[in-house]
Amino acid sequence: MASMSSVPRPKHITDRYKIIGFISSGTYGRVYKAKGKNGHVGEFAIKKFKPDKEGEVGYTGISQSAIREMALCTELSHPNVVHTVEIILENKCIYIVFEYAEHDLLQIIHHHSQPNRAAIPARSIKSIMYQLLHGLLYLHRNWVMHRDLKPANIMVTSKGEVKIGDLGLARLFQRPLNTLFTGDKVVVTIWYRAPELLLGARHYTPAIDLWAVGCIFAELLSLRPIFKGEEAKMDNKKSVPFQRNQMQKIAEILGLPTKDHWPLLSSMPEYAQLANLSAGNSRVASPQTLHKWYWNIVHMNKYPSDPASMTPGKEGLALLKGLLEYDPQKRLTAEQALQHPYFTDDDKPGENCFEGSGIEYPLRRVSQEDNDIRTSSLPGTKRSGLPDDSYGGRPAKRLKEA
Amino acid sequence: MAANYWESSQRKYWTFSKKGLADVRRAQESEPANKQLIATYPLPERRLLNIYFHLQLAKLAKRMSVRQQALATAQVYMRRYYTKVEIRTTNPYLVLATSLYLACKMEECPQHIRIVVGEARQLWPELISSDTSKLGECEFNLISTMNSQLIVHHPYRSFIDLQTTFSLVQEEVSLAWSAINDHFLTDLPLLHPPHVVAITAVLLAVVLKPTQGNLQSHAQSLQTAMSTIAVPPSNTAPTTAQARIQKLITWLAESSVSIEAVVDCVQELISLYDVWESFNEKQCKEQITRFVKALALDK
Repeated sequence: MASMSSVPRPKHITDRYKIIGFISSGTYGRVYKAKGKNGHVGEFAIKKFKPDKEGEVGYTGISQSAIREMALCTELSHPNVVHTVEIILENKCIYIVFEYAEHDLLQIIHHHSQPNRAAIPARSIKSIMYQLLHGLLYLHRNWVMHRDLKPANIMVTSKGEVKIGDLGLARLFQRPLNTLFTGDKVVVTIWYRAPELLLGARHYTPAIDLWAVGCIFAELLSLRPIFKGEEAKMDNKKSVPFQRNQMQKIAEILGLPTKDHWPLLSSMPEYAQLANLSAGNSRVASPQTLHKWYWNIVHMNKYPSDPASMTPGKEGLALLKGLLEYDPQKRLTAEQALQHPYFTDDDKPGENCFEGSGIEYPLRRVSQEDNDIRTSSLPGTKRSGLPDDSYGGRPAKRLKEA
Repeated sequence: MAANYWESSQRKYWTFSKKGLADVRRAQESEPANKQLIATYPLPERRLLNIYFHLQLAKLAKRMSVRQQALATAQVYMRRYYTKVEIRTTNPYLVLATSLYLACKMEECPQHIRIVVGEARQLWPELISSDTSKLGECEFNLISTMNSQLIVHHPYRSFIDLQTTFSLVQEEVSLAWSAINDHFLTDLPLLHPPHVVAITAVLLAVVLKPTQGNLQSHAQSLQTAMSTIAVPPSNTAPTTAQARIQKLITWLAESSVSIEAVVDCVQELISLYDVWESFNEKQCKEQITRFVKALALDK
C-alpha cells in the first residue's frame, strides 16, 4: 500500500553525485562515472539523455526510447540486470543513475583478442552465459524483450557478476497494440540481428534475444563477431533495405535456411531474396557448418579436449546450435538454454565469472575531458579515449522510430 | 515487475487504502498555499470533475484515434498526478493533453507533440498555448511527480482471461467492458488491483441482464443484484443464469480476491452513476476556466 505522499522534493544531481569523468556517448546522450556525495556512498554510472533536438532551449518532448528505459528501469530488479538507483529529472535533462560496473563483455573480449593473449577461460564463459541467460529469463518472464543484446551492453562488475544493461530499445511484448514492426522498423545491432528480423518479420518474438545470445557466446569463444556483415544503409526513411551481406555471413556458416526445417520461412516478407543469396558467393553454396566453425575455434584458441572445466566441449557446440537455430520456434528459450547439459553436466557454472582465472582486466576508461554533467556540450562532440562502440569498427544499433 | 502486478510500482506506490487516499488529499488541501486557492476558486466535487475530464480526454483521444488502452493509461496518470498536486495550481487542459501524449508513448502508439498540441487547441482554443514546449515542460513535471513509474496495469488483460473462464456472451462482454471503462472515472484505479476490477466487471455482466441496456440506468438494480449474490440460489431448478452466478461465487470463494473489495468496487460504480445524474458540464467548464484565467495558468 502506498504511504502518505507529499509533494516530492526536487533532487539535484550535483547535490548527490560528484562526476569523476566521462565514459561514453551514443545517440541517446552521454554516460558519466560518478561518486556519491553527502552520505550517499558508492560508485555510479549516470546516463544523461540529451534533449530530443540538439541545441534546443525549450522542452521538446521526451523521446520514446527514454520513456521506455525510464519506465522499465524503475520496475526491473534482478541480480543479472543492471540496477537502477534513481532517476532524476532536472533542467530539461533526464539522468538515470545505475550501479557502476567496471567491465563489459566487449572490453573483456577486446582484452583477450590482443596478440599473445590466451582465450577467455572456459569456466568464465560458462559463468557469463549462465548469468546472462538468467537475466534474460527474468526479462522475458516479465514480457520484456531487450532487442539490443551485444557485448557492449552486457556489464560485468569487479566481483564477476554479469548484468544486462541498456534497455533503451527494450519494450513490453504482452498483447501489443500494434505489431512490433510498426514501432521500430529496425532493431538490434546488425551482427546480432536474428534471421527472422533480417527477413522482415512483422511479429517477432523474444527468440530474437536468444539469437543475439548465441552470437555473443560464439564471440566469447572466438573473440570476434561470428557473423560480421556489412550493413546496408537505409536509402530513405520509408523502406528498410534487405541486409543481404549480413544474411550471407550467416549462410556462409549455417547454410541457407530451408522450408522443411523452418515451415514459416516462405511467409517472410524478404523470402524471395534468399534465392539468389548464393549467386557469386561459393561459401553460401557450400557452407562451413557450425560444427567445423566450432571445432576450428576450439583448436585455434587452444581449448584442451578435457577436463570439463577447461573446455567448452561438445555440449558448448550443442548449446550454440540450439541458440543459432534458424526457426525462432525451434530456437532454445532462455529457460531451455539454462537447462542445457552445457550447464547441468560435469562442471557447474560459478557465480563469479572471474573466479580462478587470475586475469587482471583493465579498468573502464574514464576521460577527464568532460566532467561537468550540467554543461550543454553536445553529445558526440567530445569522445573519451575509446568509446564503447568503436572497437574494430563496430556498428552502432540503428533505431528508426515511427 | 512489468507483467507482474505483485512486484509492480503500481502496487507498491500507487495503490492506496481508502483512508490513505483520504489522508493524502486532506494533507494536500490543508497546505496553507492551497487553502487560499480552494476558498477563492470553488470547484465541483471530485467525481463530477472526473466525469468532465473523462469526457474532454475522450474527445481529444477520438480526434487522434487513440486506442482505449492509451486513454485508460492517461486517465490513471491524471488521477495519480492530482494526488500530489493541487489542481488549482495547474492548467487541467494541459495536464490532460500531456497525460494522453505520454500515455501514447508508453502504450507504444506515439503521437507527435505538434499533433497533440494542434488537436488540443482545436478543442480548447482559449486554454492551450500553441507553444509545444509548454506541453514538453508539463510532461517533465508529470514524469517527475510520478517518479518515472509509468507502467500501468489495467483490468483488460485479467478480463480477457476471465471472459473465457465464465464463457461470457457478446452482450455481457460489452457490458463488462463498459464497467471497466467507467471505473477509470472513479478512484478505483488508485484503490484496487486491476484483477479485482476485472472480476467486478464480470460479476456485473453476469448478474445484470444485458438486455436491460447500459449500466448507468441500473444503479438501482445493481444494488438489488448485489444482495442476491450474498444469498446462494436455492437448489430447486436453478436457471442457467443462477448456475453461472453460483460458479462465479464459488470461484470468488476459492480465489484470493476479497469479496469486500469486489463489493466496494460495485458500490463505487453505483455512486458514480448516481452522481452522474447531477453532472453539469457547463458548470465544470466555467469553474475551471475561471481559475485557469484568473491565475494565468494557460500562459
